[in-house]
Amino acid sequence: MKLRRRDARPATETIVALIDVVFFLLIFFMLVGRMDATSPFDVIPPRTQAGADMPGGGITVTVATDGRLALDGKESERDPALADLFVRLKADPGLLVRVNAHRDARLGDVLPLVAEIERLGAGRIIFVVTPEAL
Amino acid sequence: MRLASKARTTRLISLVPLVDVMLILLIFFMVTSTYLDLDMVPMVDRAGPDAALPLPRPVDGQTASAPLLIRLGADGRAYVRGVALNPASLTIAIKARLAELTDAQIIVLPSAHASVQSLVSLMETASAAGATALRVVRLEEAP
Repeated sequence: MKLRRRDARPATETIVALIDVVFFLLIFFMLVGRMDATSPFDVIPPRTQAGADMPGGGITVTVATDGRLALDGKESERDPALADLFVRLKADPGLLVRVNAHRDARLGDVLPLVAEIERLGAGRIIFVVTPEAL
Repeated sequence: MRLASKARTTRLISLVPLVDVMLILLIFFMVTSTYLDLDMVPMVDRAGPDAALPLPRPVDGQTASAPLLIRLGADGRAYVRGVALNPASLTIAIKARLAELTDAQIIVLPSAHASVQSLVSLMETASAAGATALRVVRLEEAP
């Protein structure tokens, strides 16, 4: 009697479930994630309940507690940062400027900077804040 | 004679490259994403509804159209006419001013040593009290 040997090929495991999970995670991270330049120093924005939704795009000016500045995540001195900002505002006058200042930063460092940015031609300047739980 | 027909086999498309690409994308988004819950407070909006607000005029005394001036001290407290007010008292003061004049302007004059948080909190208090025309001014050294 001759017995038929079973096919030596391993059974193909379905990877459809894996694809489902990976696809789900991919869409989740694409939706909830927000790509932004990370700050070179620790910045904790002020808390408020009166904030509105943050619009996308624009350029971020970060101000540390001790007055140090960063433009789109790159630490810079005040004058070069403003010169760079001027060039970008000239290219795009409607550019949104986000001021991400530490909650303990001095207004003496922040408000003159905001005035200077406005003088450079920025039409939209916003403060980054953290929503406070009610 | 009977010819044996070849069994029709459907060719399977390999899904492995698809999984590879999706995994790479997944890892990319996981690594590059930040998960900060951030809001914003507008500071300058030339195209916004407040852009047409008139600039406050200097006044000699308290007149009907005079704005309410709030000084923000270095200690983070709000002062109206030299009196330090807590948020509840400030709300009452702003509401009283708005009751006299519904579109009264609120002018905030912060100390350079006050913190950003104290200014944002003051703006929040004013906004909650019903103020719609709020300006932050600062003193500059004369050239």
